[in-house]
Amino acid sequence: MIPSYYEFANTAKVLSGEGAIENIPFELKNLRCARALVLTNKQLRGMGLVDIVLSALTDGGIEVGVLYDDVPVDSAVTVVNDVAAAFRDSGCDCIVAVGGGSVLDTAKGANIVLSTGATDLLEFRGADRLVGRYMTPFVAVPTTAGTGSEVTGAAVIKDTERHVKMGFASFNLVPDVAVLDPRMTLGLPPRLTASTGMDALTHAVEAFSCKQANPLSDAYARTAIDLVREYLPAAVANGRDAKARLAMANAALLGGAAFSNAMVGVVHAMGHACGGVAGVPHGDAMAVLLPWGMQFNLECAGPRYGELLLHLAGPDVYAGTPEAQRPAAAIGAVRSLLQHLHEVAGQPTTLAECGVSREQLPEIARVAADDGAIVFNPKDASVDEILGILEAAL
Amino acid sequence: MERDVRIGPGIGRGLKRVLAGVVFAVMGRGLVACARLDDRVRRDVGSWPEGTVVTLAIAPRGPRTSVRKQGGRLEAMGGRDDVEPTLLVTFKNVDGALPVLLGMKGVVQSFAEHRATLSGDVALGISLVRCLHVVEGYLFPDIMTRRILPRPATRQAGHLRAYAGLVLRTASLPTEGAAS
Repeated sequence: MIPSYYEFANTAKVLSGEGAIENIPFELKNLRCARALVLTNKQLRGMGLVDIVLSALTDGGIEVGVLYDDVPVDSAVTVVNDVAAAFRDSGCDCIVAVGGGSVLDTAKGANIVLSTGATDLLEFRGADRLVGRYMTPFVAVPTTAGTGSEVTGAAVIKDTERHVKMGFASFNLVPDVAVLDPRMTLGLPPRLTASTGMDALTHAVEAFSCKQANPLSDAYARTAIDLVREYLPAAVANGRDAKARLAMANAALLGGAAFSNAMVGVVHAMGHACGGVAGVPHGDAMAVLLPWGMQFNLECAGPRYGELLLHLAGPDVYAGTPEAQRPAAAIGAVRSLLQHLHEVAGQPTTLAECGVSREQLPEIARVAADDGAIVFNPKDASVDEILGILEAAL
Repeated sequence: MERDVRIGPGIGRGLKRVLAGVVFAVMGRGLVACARLDDRVRRDVGSWPEGTVVTLAIAPRGPRTSVRKQGGRLEAMGGRDDVEPTLLVTFKNVDGALPVLLGMKGVVQSFAEHRATLSGDVALGISLVRCLHVVEGYLFPDIMTRRILPRPATRQAGHLRAYAGLVLRTASLPTEGAAS
């Protein structure tokens, strides 16, 4: 698959493996930084994960100007503005974000405010808005293996007035350094490991089948799916398996790089809306909706799904499946993985299990139809068609 | 492989900008005409907040066209540059804009290729894309829309009525469903 024109960027330097965190000071000095704002949340501090990063920073000669640990579960405009103010007031010169998607997205939002001098993030909604802006040096240390936010140019910030998550997209938002250290995810419970892993898988599958897919994003997506197939069940079964944890961290990063360039589609549009309207955790929404979204897209993306069977089910299954049956078999492989995660970790398999009621579906469908991801889906999706997918997934 | 679409390498940039300016004017008035003729556009525009200004422009310093929702009406503002857009779609250059404006490349494909930037609420941008799809369905024949629209064009009025509507600069909008 070669598009007539595409753009691709993946500018983050990646540090992957045991001890990666201890190399952050070297990277910050390379970025001419000496005083960091460390962004995280109280739960991660309580787990001791932030201490590992703080020790590495101080041992490496980097001063911690501010330790901001008030990031909520969903990144919010008010918090972003607060973080930017703390950064300015304390004379910091870089951001080290330690956390999951909400912490990293908050850091990106703050970086927009800092780089533009704006007092309000709302002024910079949209796509490719940060042209020519100097961005604050930014190191991302993910503590989940799912969002891929450590290498994406996307940020989602909640607008509490409209109860909708707003999207920001710019290659300028990609962190300078992404640090994948297995110590950061060893303590994730099986249930969260499962849902974040399904998020990573969804990024890769949607990136591979959306309108912006290109040879480079395809390479990232294929490898991400291979890693999920091989290591997600192992990481769920034994959370202390450092090799599986590191592999899943890489899968998430690869999926993030893929979708940051190739975009996502109807599954994410519905997932964002499920989060905004019904408070469904993103990973759970992705896990439930991915097979249904693929089913909807089958007539347009069938051949692409057929290719993915190799990665979703492995070479033996791929070779033993007639070409015409591969697209459906790919969806079947996703369903099988979800069912396995349901059995071993209690991963929800329906929207109802995620707390969504039938009465909420029309509103979710309406919000999803206005989501930025919807236009990049391989098949046009109307409100009624989205509602049909949601009803099937209920 | 998708066919790459480029407009006459031999045509000078100045001429391309003039052509883009003409099509922009038609597109702005086409949006107004469709807000009058077609329920789908009327419904989408009806949901836009009062005072919304949507601008399509070409960088750097190229032609632009704006429409404004004001007082329950949608108004074509032409190429005025003294209005503050609520939503601004800026094509990076005239070569990236022309295939879209001439119905040779889809709006979504253009975004997928990063040909344009978007400033403002993404949800409003998606609403605009839906409206432009309807407008393109009226402005261009099926042989063209089959390639650029995500699904076959459907029309609630004929091409001639739509073209006739281009002479009017405003369209009244229903008050029901309007957000303020």
